[in-house]
Amino acid sequence: MADWFADNGLLLGLALLDGISSAALIFMVAVGLTLVFGVMRILNVAHGSLYAIGAYTAASAGIFAASLGLPAWASLPAIVLSAALVGAVTGPLIETLLLRRIYDKDPVLQLLVTFALFMILEDVQKLIWGVQPMQNDTATRLLGTIDVPFGADVIPFNAYQLLLLPGVALTVLVGLTLFLRRTLTGRVIIAVTEDREAATAIGIDSTRVFLLTFTFGAALAALGGALSSPTASVVPGVGASTIVLSFAVVATAGLGRIEGAAIAALMIGLGRSIAVYFAPEFEVVVPYIIMVAVLLVRPQGLFGVAVTRRV
Amino acid sequence: MSVLLSARGLRLAFGGVRAADGIDLDVMQGEFLAIIGPNGAGKTSFINMTTGYLRPQAGSIAFDGQPILGLPPRKIVRRGIARSFQLPQLSGEHTVLENAALAVAAHAGFWSPWRALLRPEYRRDAEALLDSFGLLPLAHARADALNEGARKLTDIAMAVALKPRLLLMDEPTSGVAASEKMAIVETLVRVLRQAGVTAVFVEHDMDVVARFADRVAVWSQGQILALGPAAQVLEDPEVRREVIGIEAGPLLP
Repeated sequence: MADWFADNGLLLGLALLDGISSAALIFMVAVGLTLVFGVMRILNVAHGSLYAIGAYTAASAGIFAASLGLPAWASLPAIVLSAALVGAVTGPLIETLLLRRIYDKDPVLQLLVTFALFMILEDVQKLIWGVQPMQNDTATRLLGTIDVPFGADVIPFNAYQLLLLPGVALTVLVGLTLFLRRTLTGRVIIAVTEDREAATAIGIDSTRVFLLTFTFGAALAALGGALSSPTASVVPGVGASTIVLSFAVVATAGLGRIEGAAIAALMIGLGRSIAVYFAPEFEVVVPYIIMVAVLLVRPQGLFGVAVTRRV
Repeated sequence: MSVLLSARGLRLAFGGVRAADGIDLDVMQGEFLAIIGPNGAGKTSFINMTTGYLRPQAGSIAFDGQPILGLPPRKIVRRGIARSFQLPQLSGEHTVLENAALAVAAHAGFWSPWRALLRPEYRRDAEALLDSFGLLPLAHARADALNEGARKLTDIAMAVALKPRLLLMDEPTSGVAASEKMAIVETLVRVLRQAGVTAVFVEHDMDVVARFADRVAVWSQGQILALGPAAQVLEDPEVRREVIGIEAGPLLP
């Protein structure tokens, strides 16, 4: 055991740090997906596309900012602004033009519609950004590296992934929980989630709540994508792999569970990055092994509540 | 007395079941009207049609002279018709006060994303509301910890927070312990009279009907079998046999 650590300690440390930073990104996407599902009962397959569009937009914005000669720190607000812009544009468009028409329809149809939207958005990305990988790591270089002591070793790890990503994810988790629990809008969202009829009976406009929630969820997906862009080059297909991974997180956590999504994202993020370093051939399947293992024991997910239908 | 709500020729069928088969009904300003009848007679459907949750296949409903059929539920609420549910849908993880404050805030109409749920004026109005229902001692209890009677009252209090002119209640005392029923009815009579709210309620308990109702409408298979002053309808031999039949015991105090 001690020998194993001496040989592999550095790898394990890297796997843990990588796992935490990728968990932070997965969480931001998954929490948007689970929020939208919790409130609107629609599993949005196109959620991953919003992540990809967020990533492309942020990379373009970063490159554009640099071409204007703006200082390197400008890449950070550019990331946030890109996410906000993508959310504010795509959210209302998709909700009003598409989703609003299918809330009362069969779940299979809803799935097909959002899948169609996903396919369309994949092509839209290729149309706008082409198929060449895009990279803008200004933000990562800006924040530099931190030496992380790990056993006998010291791992130099970039501060962007080590501190900024988990910090933002934690802020999203705490902020969202407080928002839903303490503010009037949050309370209204919960009321609509729990019982749409009862909510409209006291005069709440559920249409507005759905629009707000979906836009917010879209912005979270875009934020995840935008934040990922300085750490890896953006390539076609990133939306598909993201949505599949977020589905795994959301199912593991239990549909609609926000805190659960944080734990599940951590499990799956760590599981995947450990596989990357120690058994790369299992990288792709590890998230699903975790998901299947959890669902075998708890079909409703780690934090899901099995509900019996009222009436 | 003037007519507050006027339904004419309502027809609604689910498959072969007739929930409304030519319903004509006037609800008078200020009265308490009870709807009684067997399960499946269409009593709840009447509430659902009046509040915009069900669309009749034919007929019209006017509130205060204005047609309201076709309006979505939340617009009907704004016109002054509120409802409570047979199964109260309170948020279990919130307190009674927070549930009531939501209705107060919903009535106030404007909400900005960051506004606190318990901002002072919402809290004040919600507390006054709970006080009038005798619920203030339970204000900080979680809604899922309440007994059925308190849940029903909280649900009705939320409807009253909307300052309705007409309140439709679906079985306000069902599921409530027999010993608590009359206390709930007394509270409702007091609060609704004080607020000047006209009430229509579906009810199975004839003691409650006798205490609460000014008039009674007897529903059967989507039709109104009898309609009149409570004392008269409840003593009607045919109504007693057809509708109340199995409910033994004296009806009027």
